[in-house]
Amino acid sequence: MEKIENLLKDQFEQHEIYEEENEYKSISFESNKLKELSIKQSKGFAVRAIKDSGLTFSSSSNYDLDKFNSNFLELSEYPTKTNIKFPKKDHKENNAKIYSGDEFLLENHFFIDKLDSNIKKILKKFPDALCDAEFDLGLGKSFLKNSNGLNLKSNESGISFFISAQTINGNDMLNIYSYASSVKMIEDEIINSLTRKLIENLSIAQNIKETPSKGCPVIFTPHGLYQTILSPLLVSFNGTNLSKNLSKLCNKENEKIFDEKITIRDNPLIDFSPSSRNYDGEGISSQINTLIEKGKFITGLFDLKTANEYKCDSTGSAVRSVHTNTFPSTSNLIMDAGDTHINKMIEQIDEGILVDHLLGAGQGNELSGDFSANISLGYKIEKGKLVGRVKNTMISGNSFKALSNVENISIENENVYGSLQLPFLQTSNVEISS
Amino acid sequence: MEKNYKNIIQESLRNKKANYKEIRIEETVSTRINYNGKTRENVSINSHFGGSARSMSNGGWGFTSFNEIEQAPTKMNESIELANFSNNPSFKIHSNSSKKISLPAELKKDPRSITLSEKISLLDHYKDILLKDKKIQGCEIVYGDTERKVIFADSEGNEIEQSFIHVILRIAANSSDGNDLLQSGFSIGSLGDYSIVENLDEKVLECTKKSIDLIKAPKITGQETTVVLDQILAGVFVHEAFGHLSEADNVYENKRLQGILKLGKKFGNSDLNITDGAKIPNLRGSYEYDDEGTPSSVTPLIREGVLVGRLHSKETASKMSEAPTGNARAISYAYPPIVRMTNTIIENGSNTKEEIINDTKDGLYVKNWYGGMTEHEMFTFSSAETYKIENGEIKETLRPVKLSGNLFTTLKNINGIANDLEINQGGGCGKGGQSPLPVSNGSPHIRINNCLVSSG
Repeated sequence: MEKIENLLKDQFEQHEIYEEENEYKSISFESNKLKELSIKQSKGFAVRAIKDSGLTFSSSSNYDLDKFNSNFLELSEYPTKTNIKFPKKDHKENNAKIYSGDEFLLENHFFIDKLDSNIKKILKKFPDALCDAEFDLGLGKSFLKNSNGLNLKSNESGISFFISAQTINGNDMLNIYSYASSVKMIEDEIINSLTRKLIENLSIAQNIKETPSKGCPVIFTPHGLYQTILSPLLVSFNGTNLSKNLSKLCNKENEKIFDEKITIRDNPLIDFSPSSRNYDGEGISSQINTLIEKGKFITGLFDLKTANEYKCDSTGSAVRSVHTNTFPSTSNLIMDAGDTHINKMIEQIDEGILVDHLLGAGQGNELSGDFSANISLGYKIEKGKLVGRVKNTMISGNSFKALSNVENISIENENVYGSLQLPFLQTSNVEISS
Repeated sequence: MEKNYKNIIQESLRNKKANYKEIRIEETVSTRINYNGKTRENVSINSHFGGSARSMSNGGWGFTSFNEIEQAPTKMNESIELANFSNNPSFKIHSNSSKKISLPAELKKDPRSITLSEKISLLDHYKDILLKDKKIQGCEIVYGDTERKVIFADSEGNEIEQSFIHVILRIAANSSDGNDLLQSGFSIGSLGDYSIVENLDEKVLECTKKSIDLIKAPKITGQETTVVLDQILAGVFVHEAFGHLSEADNVYENKRLQGILKLGKKFGNSDLNITDGAKIPNLRGSYEYDDEGTPSSVTPLIREGVLVGRLHSKETASKMSEAPTGNARAISYAYPPIVRMTNTIIENGSNTKEEIINDTKDGLYVKNWYGGMTEHEMFTFSSAETYKIENGEIKETLRPVKLSGNLFTTLKNINGIANDLEINQGGGCGKGGQSPLPVSNGSPHIRINNCLVSSG
């Protein structure tokens, strides 16, 4: 890399070199049988350099450095305008635990047996089910160095568990899955409870029920809440859209926009959570960012460039890989719990829907907060009980409206995808059609 | 690729025993130019190089990927050790007559012959057109060209070198009604032809007009209604509604689904014909050999409403005792090939578009696309433009909609197919974490009755 560094020193005012080395292992079952084991190794680097308020970026996993240098010089004739300064060594010493690594030492049979035994639990109850299951393990090393004296090294690890089951009755195909991830080995208790929950859900979902009438009460599971409402909403909190005046939240800091029951934080400093980081992709120390406090919009998430354009400080939210330039993104998203038990929320409903999974979410006009999708897994609530599954049913609405008047938030919250901690939520500002 | 990797490939394939072994070495160089809001945000050239080894043993697969090609023989051995963890019934991989061949990229106007400066100047020009009207708040332009060179070799004696050059462009204009942000845009692509991104002034200007038209457009409420799809959206529909379930990796281990998707079963009316094929030339999903070295083909999937074929990899063809179709594709060396669509098409019918619209009393005319998704028999796809149809005439502009359906009813609800087939090459497909894979899809205008629609 010396060759690149020499060029950067000669030709640019500031520069930054990011290098990454990763190893992934995957053990996967398909249709109840062990299908594939894989080990993937990858390494590469990305370079950013600034002169005359213009930023040039390029990345490669091809270590032909002469070619890289000549491409980089050509690119530097068309830089992106920015006034950012790469950070100096930061004094804030975060110490979130983001590495374990012991899992890579475990025998493959350890994972194969765990997947096999969980599939068998499902087959005991549903002998005709076809199950897919997978463990994915990752180890990563990254190096970030810039011309202002920053020189950081980081080791990270991750592991995820996935299991799904498909049943077919006539022309009706039902597929339910569960997923968990962590920095260290996922405890048996969590894996067992995911499989148990999957079996319970599969049992309820065998009954197809008529969709309740329009205007019925709707509760979202933590997964359903993220997929339906939070995912399109977060587009408006992203610094890229705030800095381009494309977000509905532009210059509305400290305004009450949501129901006062809503508080959401982005916390990158949780031990062993898969999206935790002690500093971001540009070397800025990570910090807890409050996005919504009792219904008030507090801040979006920014990297250096978008913060510079929005005239605020970076929130330490830059993510990157060797394939992409930096961009702001969430880490671990935590929504405050409410004051009603989920069982009580369901018991109070005469006829309604519990929305868990959507098909086709995120493919509309997300900048406006709109959502519209087919409910691929939603349970009918009848006289306070889950009695079966709805089908051929769509849900639509707007995230801002859905969160402007919330009826109930549960005391219980659940982990979704490893990096989201969310409660159940009931709102009536959505439309159901079938 | 400059170096000759023949010896290292041969050494990798000679080593340890397995039922089947393959190796891929790949180099890509991509140019990306992006605009967001009112400014150019990124110009980059990214190059990647690596290889992978895959083997089959004991009825299971082992896969390894790496950046240092010298490691290939060791990595092949490691993949065999990984495959040996399986203990499934053994199967014989489908083999074709072996080929040693090197195929250059199909080129009409080579994007590599255009300087970066020329590319940027053209895109700057489009940006200026988009931002000319003060009602336009910002724009989105994504240009990309990618050169991909792949060497494939397997234990069956195949040695195939192929090159591809893809060009893509997405252009969109954003407006606002003071509350909601509204977008109108288009996506195009080609295999080896830069000229598709030239001379688009009129189309770009139309984006701004359509985006501004959306400001006053009302939203619909959720309903079941008749929809007439333009060629682009009907192409997305056939990809989502039928294409994914025709991929045999959904079916080959699933006896119940094999019963439901039995060849010879009727799925649509007699004027419905659907085909997929990488052998159709000069489209983004076109190639001569797939990523398992199987020659590409054109596969009839539905003939006169009846299911007649499906898309296969070597494994699914072998296990289902059907002919291989050359549909095993990997997005890069870092992934194993899986069954994918290529160029998927609803063939021309006998009506004209005008006849179909005139014959529609009440419904929606839906055009262009945002996206689509499939989960087994259920699917959704979303329009980028929507218009009311009243008494056989296209009327007011509405906000975009999301459409949803079920394979078993929606294909049968197609009751009008026009004769104006067009192919859309502006999309990509995602499956199994491999996205966006270059595909094309196409259709004439079609009409579907009783389609579930909600505001997008």
